[in-house]
Amino acid sequence: MSALELINVRKRYGTVETLKGIDLSLSSGEFLVLLGPSGCGKSTLLNIIAGLAEATEGDVRIGDRSVTGVHPKDRDIAMVFQSYALYPNMSVARNIGFGLEMRNVPAAKRTEAVQKTARMLQIENLLTRKPSELSGGQRQRVAIGRALVRDPQIFLFDEPLSNLDAKLRMETRTELKRLHQILGTTIVYVTHDQIEAMTLATRIAVMRDGHIEQLAAPDEIYNRPATRYVASFVGSPPMNMLNATVIDGVARIDGSLDGVPLPPELRKRAVGARSVIVGIRPENLSLAPTDDSGFNIEAKVEVVELTGPELVVTSTIGSQRLTASLPPKSKVTVGASQRFGIDASALHVFDKATEKRI
Amino acid sequence: MTSNWLTTRAWFLMLPLLIVMIAIIGWPLVDTVRLSFTDARLVGTEGSFVGFDNYVKILSGTNFQRTLVTTFWFAVLSVALEMVIGVLAALLLNQQFYGRSVLRALMILPWALPTVVNATLWRLIYNPEYGALNAMLMQFGMIEGYRSWLGEPGTALASLIIADCWKNFPLVALIALAALQAVPRDITAASMVDGAGAWSRFRFVIMPYLAGPLMVALVLRTIEAFKVFDIIWVMTRGGPANSTRTLSILVYQEAFSFQRAGSGASLALIVTLLVTVLAVAYAALIRKSAGAS
Repeated sequence: MSALELINVRKRYGTVETLKGIDLSLSSGEFLVLLGPSGCGKSTLLNIIAGLAEATEGDVRIGDRSVTGVHPKDRDIAMVFQSYALYPNMSVARNIGFGLEMRNVPAAKRTEAVQKTARMLQIENLLTRKPSELSGGQRQRVAIGRALVRDPQIFLFDEPLSNLDAKLRMETRTELKRLHQILGTTIVYVTHDQIEAMTLATRIAVMRDGHIEQLAAPDEIYNRPATRYVASFVGSPPMNMLNATVIDGVARIDGSLDGVPLPPELRKRAVGARSVIVGIRPENLSLAPTDDSGFNIEAKVEVVELTGPELVVTSTIGSQRLTASLPPKSKVTVGASQRFGIDASALHVFDKATEKRI
Repeated sequence: MTSNWLTTRAWFLMLPLLIVMIAIIGWPLVDTVRLSFTDARLVGTEGSFVGFDNYVKILSGTNFQRTLVTTFWFAVLSVALEMVIGVLAALLLNQQFYGRSVLRALMILPWALPTVVNATLWRLIYNPEYGALNAMLMQFGMIEGYRSWLGEPGTALASLIIADCWKNFPLVALIALAALQAVPRDITAASMVDGAGAWSRFRFVIMPYLAGPLMVALVLRTIEAFKVFDIIWVMTRGGPANSTRTLSILVYQEAFSFQRAGSGASLALIVTLLVTVLAVAYAALIRKSAGAS
């Protein structure tokens, strides 16, 4: 039995279709991340699961029952909002226990549950405070506590870390991962941050224009992106996308004399001359050995950025851009031509017309 | 530029306004205080100094006490009704429905009408011979014959309260609507997920956002209701049998109908004092609620 099942879920606002038939099944204990840019429909989908918006078509099933048309309070879900959505007039303790209070849980039991949750989230000392007296990170913990205390079937998170600074975001991310590992809860998590998606998810649904572009484990999303869109959305710096033509098993990069011989299995799939996009992740590029051995490609270095753990080198091949992530002590000269070695086993090739993986 | 020069310049720039204010507020107030200690009449005599006689007579007289009670009931009931209807109207107009903007604009109409027009409209509605209220109640079989709603002491005050409420509830509704629109959508969504029904959502989640702005509306409306004059003067002139006479009507009658300028001035100052006490008490309340939120 699935913990959550979406069957052909569509949402239309007038003539605009924001969700174009979403099918998805989630097992108990899974951590699904809906990943995509603003306006791709991920928050709308989350709201439909929560019951805060109605699907125009399709069915939502939680556990073994259809919840289409069921009020949010009767769906056995809990939600954490981007803005935390804490009740400003209530203390932290009452904020956490409000869901139980509304379900007529006796005060003693409620207090016990709030205490237990507060202990788990290390916010016991904040229980008497009002939300306005808390920092962003503390508010986020309270919002998570409010969801945890009810022990629902599914937790929904709507970009919960977006309002936190970088350091706190990382800490809270780790905390969420820890909580998921301890509690084994089923989570649907919306974000546009691919690092969050990669680190937290057991599966990622990459969304684009109201449909799921690829639904897979993080490893597969990163290493075997199904489309050019997924490949360029996941990864930082993003994957290099070079227009090329395959001739006799060699991808000839447009604007360059260089070619990249395709691995045998790719060669079989890309039979004959055809226009393709060759995807190379920046970390799969290296400074080519001076003896010119292996596959390499020449590019003109334009910008060099040291981020600390890596040196990001942006170069051009004709009108195409090539970014390489190199070890920080690499010697690269701005304005000079540089040959970059390519790890051929990590090549991604996409059909130029369909943008699908070959 | 020194701060001394800035202060001097500020005072200099404010001087024209200060002169106007002293001329139209300060001087009449001082003269009213002077008059209140005399037995001056509106026409004829300047009056002689009588000390606190006017105040003692007013405060110990049944006229004042009865009028104070009438004013109290008028203010409490009309403001309470305006608050309830105003908030309900705001809640309705905050929903999504076709024609909402038109309805929001229409709602302001009673408030935008001059009080005299409103009072005349309601006099027509209450008219004992051809009034719409009588006609409607007759058709529903709720009364056996046409009644003089404004002519009977038992119904006149209630009729006035309804008319005043109709005129002033839009102000409360507007303030409440603005406050409702400031309630973050996520907060109401969170309360729905938390299991709050419509009433709990209103009481625990929305009401705290409304409390501050509504307190301001309450202060404004109570002070205005306490000073009410025009609607009552047009509709009943304080009658029948003084059943709708409020403090402002009493002041007018004392000073202008009976031409007792001295005791009229004392009465006016007592009303001013009462309204000031109300305003200060409410201001403290507002500060307290603002601090709490």
